[in-house]
Amino acid sequence: MAHFTDVEARTIIRETYAQIASSSRTVAERLYAPEELEGLPKAPVDLALGVGHPVRHARLSPGDVVLDVGCGAGIDTLLAARLVGPGGRVIGLDMTPAMVARTREHAAIAGFGWVEVKEGLMEAIPLGDNAVDVVVTNGVLNLSTRKSRALAEMLRVLRPGGRLALADLVVTEALPEDVLRSAPALAA
Amino acid sequence: MLTKKVLNVGFEAIAIEERQPVGIDELAHYPVFPEELAEFIRRAIPESRHDELVWSVTLTALKPSMPEGDTHGA
Repeated sequence: MAHFTDVEARTIIRETYAQIASSSRTVAERLYAPEELEGLPKAPVDLALGVGHPVRHARLSPGDVVLDVGCGAGIDTLLAARLVGPGGRVIGLDMTPAMVARTREHAAIAGFGWVEVKEGLMEAIPLGDNAVDVVVTNGVLNLSTRKSRALAEMLRVLRPGGRLALADLVVTEALPEDVLRSAPALAA
Repeated sequence: MLTKKVLNVGFEAIAIEERQPVGIDELAHYPVFPEELAEFIRRAIPESRHDELVWSVTLTALKPSMPEGDTHGA
């Protein structure tokens, strides 16, 4: 049973993520190797909100076209950009304008001119069919009220034979109703 | 459930690459998970689940080389 409508959920998530501030590397240091974080701008490292390291499993090659669904402040976008190089392309997608602006800024600071950032929904990805080689997404699918729709969109934009690398949180035992009805819990 | 959803939309060769429990204390490191929320969840959920509130799963999957029913390729 859905506890929030699509619009309610998106509003809560946009407002929460637009206000995020962090000066701690704790999350990034738990997920990424020190040598991966080296050389990245400070802000996307401090604002790492992922739950895994899908880029590690994405088997990226120079020249690949990559979509980072729910790019947040851009740490996975930048790591992917480093791996695909200037002959490739990385597209960050986020529904929160503040995060889109942050990733654009962080890619510019890193000098990764082959990063493009789009504002949009994971349930309606603003790309054509078969547009990318790899989709990565990190801790984002659980924020969707239409997860199958979002996954179907990731499938649509991938080229045939393309790879999805997805990290997310899953619940193995039901959470209490009052937790499921909590807006902060939804956003977290 | 996650792998089933991924399979159902049409992906294949699904592989679980990493899977590990995530507790409330670990979630509390995230700026979207304020201490008040951590406390609320600690009260709402039995202590036995505090260290395994959710699981972090990383999976990979492939889009089939030729979509079902498409004899012309993509």
